[in-house]
Amino acid sequence: MKQKTDVLQGTLALMVLKTLDVLGPQHGYGIARRIEQISGDLLAVNQGTLYPVLLKLEQEGAIASEWGASENNRRARFYRLTREGRKQLQAETKDWEQTAAIIARFFEAKAEDLP
Amino acid sequence: MKSLRRLFTRLFNTAARRAEEERLREEIAEHIALQTDENLRAGLSPIEARRQAMLKFGGVEAMKQDYRAERGVLLIENLLGDLRNAGRSISRMPGLATVIIVSLAIGIGVNTTIFSWIQMMLFEPMPAVSGAANFLMVEPQTETGGYPGASWQEYRDLRRQVPALRDIVASQMVPFNVGERGQTERTHGQLVSGNYFSALGLKPAMGRFFRPEEAERSGTEPVVVISYDYWQTRFRGAPEAVGKKLRVNDRELMVIGVAPKDFQGTMVPLKFELWAPATMAPALLGGTRDLEDRSIRAFSLIGMLKAGATSEEAQAEFSRAMGQMARDYPDASAGIGGEILAFWKAPRGPQRMLISGLAVLQGVMLLLLLAVCGNTANLMLARGSVRQREMAVRVALGAGRWRIASLVLSENMLLALLGTGLGAVIAVWGTTALRVAPMIGAFPILFPTKVDVFTLAFAMLLGAACGFIFSAAPAVHLARLDPQEGLRSNSNTPPRSRASKVLMGVEVGLAMVVLIAAALFLESFRSARQADPRFRAEGVLLAAYDLSGRNPTDASEREFAARLLERLRSLPDVEAAAIATNVPVDLHGIPARSFTVQGHVRTEAGQDRAISNTVTPGYFQVMGIPLVEGNDFAEMRDKAAPAQAIVNEEFVRRYLNGAEAIGRSLQTRGGSFSIIGVARNSVYDAFGEPAQPAVYLSYRDLPAIQGEIHLRTRSSNETALTFEARAVLRELDPMLPLYDARTFSQHIERNLYLRRIPARMFAVLGPLLLGLAAIGIYAVVSYAVARRTREIGVRLAFGATSGRVVGQIIRENLGVIAWGAAIGWVLALAISVRVIAKGGLNVSVFLVVPAILLGVATLACWIPARRASRIDPIAALRHE
Repeated sequence: MKQKTDVLQGTLALMVLKTLDVLGPQHGYGIARRIEQISGDLLAVNQGTLYPVLLKLEQEGAIASEWGASENNRRARFYRLTREGRKQLQAETKDWEQTAAIIARFFEAKAEDLP
Repeated sequence: MKSLRRLFTRLFNTAARRAEEERLREEIAEHIALQTDENLRAGLSPIEARRQAMLKFGGVEAMKQDYRAERGVLLIENLLGDLRNAGRSISRMPGLATVIIVSLAIGIGVNTTIFSWIQMMLFEPMPAVSGAANFLMVEPQTETGGYPGASWQEYRDLRRQVPALRDIVASQMVPFNVGERGQTERTHGQLVSGNYFSALGLKPAMGRFFRPEEAERSGTEPVVVISYDYWQTRFRGAPEAVGKKLRVNDRELMVIGVAPKDFQGTMVPLKFELWAPATMAPALLGGTRDLEDRSIRAFSLIGMLKAGATSEEAQAEFSRAMGQMARDYPDASAGIGGEILAFWKAPRGPQRMLISGLAVLQGVMLLLLLAVCGNTANLMLARGSVRQREMAVRVALGAGRWRIASLVLSENMLLALLGTGLGAVIAVWGTTALRVAPMIGAFPILFPTKVDVFTLAFAMLLGAACGFIFSAAPAVHLARLDPQEGLRSNSNTPPRSRASKVLMGVEVGLAMVVLIAAALFLESFRSARQADPRFRAEGVLLAAYDLSGRNPTDASEREFAARLLERLRSLPDVEAAAIATNVPVDLHGIPARSFTVQGHVRTEAGQDRAISNTVTPGYFQVMGIPLVEGNDFAEMRDKAAPAQAIVNEEFVRRYLNGAEAIGRSLQTRGGSFSIIGVARNSVYDAFGEPAQPAVYLSYRDLPAIQGEIHLRTRSSNETALTFEARAVLRELDPMLPLYDARTFSQHIERNLYLRRIPARMFAVLGPLLLGLAAIGIYAVVSYAVARRTREIGVRLAFGATSGRVVGQIIRENLGVIAWGAAIGWVLALAISVRVIAKGGLNVSVFLVVPAILLGVATLACWIPARRASRIDPIAALRHE
């Protein structure tokens, strides 16, 4: 349980940024749905965890928010990516790809491969 | 950058808390509504749809907590909460809080005041001069270690020969008589080298400073720079002051500029008003040979190190230069070396003496503050034991150790902060009081102390340190609390605190020393008021004159005094007139000089010494001191009589074993004098002093450049004589002002004033320490008693009377107190024997003070002990 949230904390922010990058402005529920769709069960239990992450990103200036109307015409808070957020996303995507590549190579490597 | 931005947003959020909460609530509601809609579309029943949506969202409260932590600065929020809490709990104990705050404030205020003084002398010794502390004194030094000052020629050589020092500056303090003939006024100024203002880095407030040519050539350019205050008071700050002529020592000087505000010269705390080029010395000082004669060492030199040079280099160069001069000019410079000193060690002026005194005072005051902290810690511990239950509840509800500690800490810090604030106010008041200290004696003195950022920082530091010191014990104690224990009983018994008992003892000892000192000072002050000076002070007017500017010789000084006395005696209101070099009961004291007298073999290697005053005939009549044997001195113009001396009764008793004194010869001050009379003993230095041997010499034999005129009036109003005396002096020399005119009673008052300062200080400090000690004892005992409620209950249940319980508690604590008191008593005795040996031991003080102190201590023990003994044993035991 604890490990799961740890992973979440680290990656959730990146997922949020990517979601907003792909879909454009979204409200909290929309972001949650999208992440859920793509990540399967990862977010199924605690959608609420999303909100502290949203706040953190907003405070960092990566995303901005404003009130708007939701699909069923109720007031909802819409989040969008800022220019800074886009830059952050690019940088973190690169980092993530590098890290993933390194980890992948570690897993592939076998004892006999080593000199 | 990012983290900074977050911090700001967070701080803002902390403030805009409500709006944020509302936004989150709305967002959650919307989220759940959308999810519910989704679930409904998937075919769930409305209730189930909402339930599933809620489940999926997760714990709302936990999320809110995360959200809040993310949103605001948790630490600050907690801190604000703690502070609110602290404010509440302080307002619940107004009495205790007042005691703590006030005692802290006094401690911090006094310390800050002293610190501002030390800071001034060490770091900002010259107001208006930046980096003044970096100046070094360049002092020629005799073989015996004295600092005779530098001659002008020496200064000119040293400027070239000590390259490690940038710009050496020379200055000489001189009295100036300013004003038109007949209306002169005495002011103090400095004769300075041409680079004086530029080397100090000063910019004129008006006009300009000296040009090189004005300061280089001898006695040509009559210019003067005036102080800002002088400009404001004498010229009302008018810009036209620059260019005006000022008559100084009978010479016309042109005012060329005004020194910057607050600048008071290079011999702080002396305050100078005028600065003239040193090259004008002959013109201003009646043709003195200051500028040529290497043996006239009238100047004081200061300089700053060149970049990269060390004071060792400067010292080496200085010593080499002085060595060379000793070879080149053996008459004037033989045996004179040199020493580079830090500015605050200046051998002239009071800094050196003051700073060691202040350091001691600061030490004592810090100790006092520590005692306050100790008291507060004990009080807080005592209170903490009452609050165990509260803290236990907090711990049980999930407050961490740090939260508890920070709760206690914030409470104490708030107390410390309030104390510091009040202390700063006291410090501001204290330094202002020092600034306006009255002009004492013939010299204008101003201590340029002030409360600035440094001083306030010092106060804050003290306050914070105090807060931490007295927080530590209760915070640690409460944070270690086991909630179960704390909730179950009140008998949580921490280890007996030895430290607090030792502290109590130390405090009592300290209070003892200060109280005895206070009592001794007050006693001596009181007796001074009542003591018989053995001369008649009423009806005597004192006034001074100074022939410094007139370059007099012995003969002219003698003649001047003789003519002055003739004129004064011819005034109808004057009964008797005399001139003397010294006035009894003076701040500076009367010099005691060594002598040899015929018929007395020196007992030990140490020379015999006697008070020495030089007086004109008629002095004993003015002072009302009868001559018990022999006659008064010969007339001033009598050239036939041999050099004469008059001694007092104590002199005869001590050195001549009561034998006949008249006719014996006495050697002192490089001459031989024949004793012609014996005067009655009188007071010389201080009221109530034991009889001192004294030798009076005649003004006729040893004329002096300065004189104190003593006039006895026929009428009852001696002040009225001032005008007549001034007129007489003006007739004799229109350029000479009569200064420092005061009645003898005023003279005595003025000197008592200075004795009053320590007396007052101790009078305040003594009761303060007594109070602090009482609070300390009270705190320790009530803490101890609170811990032992159960034990006391058991004792009472087994039949101990409350008297026995009280007696036991008092006995236990009084032991420690008695130890502290005894040590303090012995210390005070030792100090008083060493310092106040003259007056003999004041036995009553040494008996009464301990009695009072022990009485108060017993009372401070008795109150909490009595309270403890009143406990209902059943209630105490059931409570457990």
